[in-house]
Amino acid sequence: MESTCIPIRVAVIFSPGGRLTPKWFELGRRKHEVKETTYFWQDRLGEVARMHYAVSDGEALYELVYNTCEQTWALTALKSERP
Amino acid sequence: MKHRTILHIDMNAFFASVEQQANPELRGKPIAVVGGGGRTVITTSSYEARAKGVKTGMAVWEGKRCCPELIIVIGDNRKYTHTSTKINEIFRDYTPEVEAFSIDESWLDVTHSLSIFGIAENIAYLIKARIRHSFGITCSIGIAPNKLLAKLASDMQKPDGLTIIEPGNVARILERMSIKELCGIGRKMERHLNMMSIYTCGELGRCDEGRLTRKFGIIGRRLKEMGQGIDNSPVIQYGEEEDVKSVGHSSTLERDIDDPAEIRRFLLQLSDMVGSRARRYGVSGKTIHLYVRYADFFSSWGKQTTLKNYINLSDEIYKAALSILATVELEQPIRLLGVTLSNLKQQAEQLPLFEDERKKLFATQAMDKVNDRYGSMAVTFGSLLPGKKKAGNRVIPPSWRPDGIKNVDVK
Repeated sequence: MESTCIPIRVAVIFSPGGRLTPKWFELGRRKHEVKETTYFWQDRLGEVARMHYAVSDGEALYELVYNTCEQTWALTALKSERP
Repeated sequence: MKHRTILHIDMNAFFASVEQQANPELRGKPIAVVGGGGRTVITTSSYEARAKGVKTGMAVWEGKRCCPELIIVIGDNRKYTHTSTKINEIFRDYTPEVEAFSIDESWLDVTHSLSIFGIAENIAYLIKARIRHSFGITCSIGIAPNKLLAKLASDMQKPDGLTIIEPGNVARILERMSIKELCGIGRKMERHLNMMSIYTCGELGRCDEGRLTRKFGIIGRRLKEMGQGIDNSPVIQYGEEEDVKSVGHSSTLERDIDDPAEIRRFLLQLSDMVGSRARRYGVSGKTIHLYVRYADFFSSWGKQTTLKNYINLSDEIYKAALSILATVELEQPIRLLGVTLSNLKQQAEQLPLFEDERKKLFATQAMDKVNDRYGSMAVTFGSLLPGKKKAGNRVIPPSWRPDGIKNVDVK
């Protein structure tokens, strides 16, 4: 995965119980539909909880991070080539 | 006496399975997970890679020699610590008596949960299903009357196994089982026992206790019991462990270093990591231990000093570590540095008498507050400013636990 940190726009469904489901995100003026959320994990930076989503648009794998304090989304990793 | 029912749960190729789950393109392929520190030692590998001879601890080039199509994945420790914490939460739905043995292994005492869930096998299948549903990964479970046998059982079927050792079958199973299969018998102990013509658990269990005690001291009796499959040790849940005996951090550096200024900088950073964790959990210590491993990987040394006073301020730990380093002439560049604070006591807060020391304490407390809020090293010493190479926990230590002082923050 190539590391990066780009603020992005993400469409998300907030479900009861605090569950978030990313549906699509914009990157390079292109809308990427989330076909599969392959993994989810959480960590903390100081007091701030960050929710990480490994998502696939069917072509590449992306890591989206939701900062629960600032309520912002960022793209932090991207894998576009096949291993 | 009623038998206990213990489960030992071992996640299969944990880091590799998590990576395969996170990246569907890796599923079914031979992968090896390596640390993010620029070094190239394989932390773990998938079952597909293991089938080709790839083993933990191999250098990447060795792994590639065994399996040319091996895919190298840089591990993400926070993914693994999160998953481990959540899996341990699942375990607590079945019993409060859960002991995390490492990031990917736990014991559960379900003796008192059987009236709710029926037989232990039911609990094991429920746990397997929930882990697979939530994380897409598998585990091997052993069910037995004690921790020793439950661990042995979980090792008997991998991956995705479920093995039950019934109390009545213990002697039969252990009779021909190699002693090296027992948790607690390492290569060195195995060699010693082999020299006494003891190769199987059956032979160990029948060995004269006096003979074992003469050779191994007080653990002689324990060894005989292990050979008989006896283990009365309880499952120790979080909050009931013994007090921690030390707080330490070590770091394999991105490259070998011999520049004294650089060595001092890493030492200061490690001292700060030790100090801030000790302060967060309210302990201070008198003994500082410094560990150095040289570039050749095989030579190393460790030295310690004991002070008159208990300390936990980073600069005091650093000064003590530096004083140890000053007594040694370094033979080679350094590959790994470690600082440990031990001889601990719960810290009694005492305001220093002198103004300068009071200022230092207040400054440290202010730094800790900022770092607690914004993340470790948000405020730090000037010599550790950004742009300079940093040490850090890029490897999850064996002592990592989901809660408490052993819950070390990893990168």
